[in-house]
Amino acid sequence: MVKKIKNLKEFSLSNDRFEGANLMCPGCSHNIIVREVLNATNDPVIVATATGCLEVCTAVYPKTSWDVSWIHIGFENAAVAAATVSAAYEVMKRKGKLPPATQKMVDEGREPKIVAFAGDGGTYDIGFQSLSGAFERGHNFMYVCLDNEVYANTGGQRSSSTPIGASTTTSPAGSVSYGEKMQKKSMVEIMADHGAPYVAQVSPSKWKDLVKKVQKGFEVYGPVYINAQSACTTEWKHAPEDTIEVSDLGVESCVWPLYEIINERDEHGIIYSTKLNITYRPKKKIPVEEYLAAQPRFRHLFKPENRHIIDLWQKAVDARWEYLQRREEAGV
Amino acid sequence: MAKDMKHIDIEEIQKLGWDELIPGAALFSFREPVEDVVEVPMEERPYAPTNSHEWQVGDWRVEKPVYNRDLCIDCQFCWVFCPDMSILSRDKKMIGVIYEHCKGCGICVEVCPTNPKSLLMFPEHMDNDEALKRWPQKEEKKKD
Amino acid sequence: MAKKFELNEIEVWDGNMAAAQALRQADVDIVAAYPITPSTPIVQNYSKFLADGYVDGEFIMVESEHSAMSGCVAASAAGVRAATATSSQGFALMVEVLYQASGMRLPIVLTVVNRALAAPLNVNGDHSDMYLGRDAGWINLCSYNPQEAYDLTLMAFRIGEDLRVRLPVMVHQDGFLCSHTAQNVRPLQDEEAREFVGEFKAVNSMLDVSDPVTHGVQTEEDWHFEHKARQHHDMMSSFDVIREVFGEFKERTGREYDLVYTYKMDDADVAIVALGTTVESARVAADQMREKGVKAGVVSFRVLRPFPFNEIVDALGDVKAIAAMDRSAPGGTFGMLFNELGAALMAKGKRPILLNYIYGLGGRDTTINMLREVYEQLNECAQAGEAKYPLQQFIGLRGPKLSFY
Ligand SMILES: Cc1ncc(C[n+]2csc(CCOP(=O)(O)OP(=O)(O)O)c2C)c(N)n1
Ligand code: SF4
Ligand code: SF4
Ligand code: SF4
Ligand SMILES: [Mg+2]
Repeated sequence: MVKKIKNLKEFSLSNDRFEGANLMCPGCSHNIIVREVLNATNDPVIVATATGCLEVCTAVYPKTSWDVSWIHIGFENAAVAAATVSAAYEVMKRKGKLPPATQKMVDEGREPKIVAFAGDGGTYDIGFQSLSGAFERGHNFMYVCLDNEVYANTGGQRSSSTPIGASTTTSPAGSVSYGEKMQKKSMVEIMADHGAPYVAQVSPSKWKDLVKKVQKGFEVYGPVYINAQSACTTEWKHAPEDTIEVSDLGVESCVWPLYEIINERDEHGIIYSTKLNITYRPKKKIPVEEYLAAQPRFRHLFKPENRHIIDLWQKAVDARWEYLQRREEAGV
Repeated sequence: MAKDMKHIDIEEIQKLGWDELIPGAALFSFREPVEDVVEVPMEERPYAPTNSHEWQVGDWRVEKPVYNRDLCIDCQFCWVFCPDMSILSRDKKMIGVIYEHCKGCGICVEVCPTNPKSLLMFPEHMDNDEALKRWPQKEEKKKD
Repeated sequence: MAKKFELNEIEVWDGNMAAAQALRQADVDIVAAYPITPSTPIVQNYSKFLADGYVDGEFIMVESEHSAMSGCVAASAAGVRAATATSSQGFALMVEVLYQASGMRLPIVLTVVNRALAAPLNVNGDHSDMYLGRDAGWINLCSYNPQEAYDLTLMAFRIGEDLRVRLPVMVHQDGFLCSHTAQNVRPLQDEEAREFVGEFKAVNSMLDVSDPVTHGVQTEEDWHFEHKARQHHDMMSSFDVIREVFGEFKERTGREYDLVYTYKMDDADVAIVALGTTVESARVAADQMREKGVKAGVVSFRVLRPFPFNEIVDALGDVKAIAAMDRSAPGGTFGMLFNELGAALMAKGKRPILLNYIYGLGGRDTTINMLREVYEQLNECAQAGEAKYPLQQFIGLRGPKLSFY
């Protein structure tokens, strides 16, 4: 059942199902994303989480920060965990063996929503196989990648989501290196190409856009992928209070474009339409340099010998923004 | 025998021996079933002692956000962006900060749109009344 | 509701069909699996049962064994019955999750069709996979033929799901020699099997949205030890439940199982201890030796974990010479059976002559003659009262004799 959320005041009526006194860093975006996702629905939620910051900081024995059922198995299997919980739910529903409280919810049209949260390491890298498999099989669940572009929990190593030029502990900037050498992988398109009915990129700073997309995702049947920008004060090295500001700079510079891809299928499951919509258009696209300057992980790029990487960044962001606009215009 | 971890207190939990643990290290959110948790505000939830809600992280802070009701326009920016569920809002109104859970990140202050801000960081040891007395005046918008 | 599968009093099944039929009768809710020789037919048979309406559950053909076991863990934590099958490399890929399953105390059933581990790659039977997982915190049951694979798979659900146990259970059978060898099997009828296995009892089910539960927590030095101690304690205490279930099964079927399997051990002077189908060959060899006047017997583990310390020493305590026959590359030490038997016997003050034979790796044939030769060696040692042969020998191997100590 779609929760009515007209504006922020209405949203603030939500009673959180994610609890304080967890051990996440002050100012961590992961938490903001989790809150916004859980509060986007009043239906029951069941969560699977991959190893990573969110997992090690919210279920440290003997305390849990979850007011929903939650499971962590390992680093690389959050997708299959959520997918199989979803399958188990469907089997029990079919057999009429759901626990009474759950059955009551279902009768009221409030089916449980099954959500996986995983970091970029658990998604782009080690969990990719399990994610790809679960999406191909078409299980009904939502997968949210908390994309802080680094293995934060283990001390800031690069992942295939780390953008070019970022200094991480395994791609450090040095006298002969500008840091990470590879461009970030485009997970959103990769997941859309699995034929998932709904795929979107979000930022916690644009809460309404995020909530709307999560709601759309909950409404479709099948696997949904949400790529969430997650500014990490510890690894991006900005001040904790600047989390929202840094996120906004990402969105306003089009480094982190907000868009969705909708695959529509006919009754035989054949995709007859793929549409990409840009859901937020900055009034004035700000230079990428401002985004980079706000994060000390890119500080070395401002040295004369590395400035060409900033130019490269701008070029790449412009090209990508162009590409998204062209796709949107073409309706594909 | 496994102890009923829903119904003992935090001190007791910390002393549990191996024989008293719940197999598989499962943890519970509530002492008793809650039929529809989204309908129950945190003040009324039967939190289990194993719910982090019952614990505190306030001592992580060096500075704390102080709330000034007189200036607040109840926009709820602070509520939505607080990473730690530490802004208490009820009936679309901001009520205050939950200091047990607030980690002092300062996001709420950054996103507060009023001028002067309705939330400001003050040293942890300063009394809130004292902080309110020291509240700054309206800042002139810088022209650029 | 699933259709009833009409079964004859005696069916001719190979070990894979036997295991698949047991999974079917146990009404498994979720089977998440991935194919690998020689266990593939278990999941193929199961999906065919599903396609024909003989099971009311879900078969999820995942993209790897890692996901197969992860899926079983999630399903079990969600409060439904979950099972899968694997072998060898697939088993190796599962290992991380095997520990997670037992640590989370989820009563998953895994039928393992034992096969060698690469490299070199080999699809045939040995016990490398069993040995790789033996310390993963699972109850390990061992079968020697299709009938036992069937019986033990049914019993595995009862044992693992018992509220006093709540541990995952593996049922081992030998690749090809059991899995692909059709033999007579006396199955239970569907209703009877269902009644024996019983309904799945969900514990801390994630699907109960009114009572949220957190599964798979983080523990550090202040809690991990206690949880592992609890897990070990509960595993060590599961003997009672295992005996109870074996007892009830005997009442229903007349087929008797014990923690330790013994053959002609009452008066034995020499004994072979082996696992899997070798037990059956060793029985034949023992009979032939007895015709020659050698008091030969056979011992095996029906339950390898928890380790039946008292029972194994009772079975072997008065034997003069023992062959610990390990069908797994020992990797720089003695074989597991040699080490574990040696420790158990010594701890109870027994000092029989104990020899280690490494045999049958990668499916190498183990003939009755070879086993007779082992008995001959044991007999020589027994008569001499000392080890007349090296402590570790590779048998059935081409090239110069390989032995140590
Ligand atoms: C199989 C396995 N390999 C490695 C690790 C170590 N490890 C745990 S969390 C983590 C990094 C997590 O990074 P990410 O998924 O991006 O999540 P984040 O902590 O950044 O939120 C690593 C490398 C592990 N737990 N399991
Ligand atoms: S390291 Fe980054 S992602 Fe992890 S808890 Fe801290 S701020 Fe959050
Ligand atoms: S952000 Fe500021 S103005 Fe808005 S509700 Fe919070 S305190 Fe009030
Ligand atoms: S300082 Fe941070 S944690 Fe505390 S109330 Fe403000 S936003 Fe929340
Ligand atoms: Mg990360």
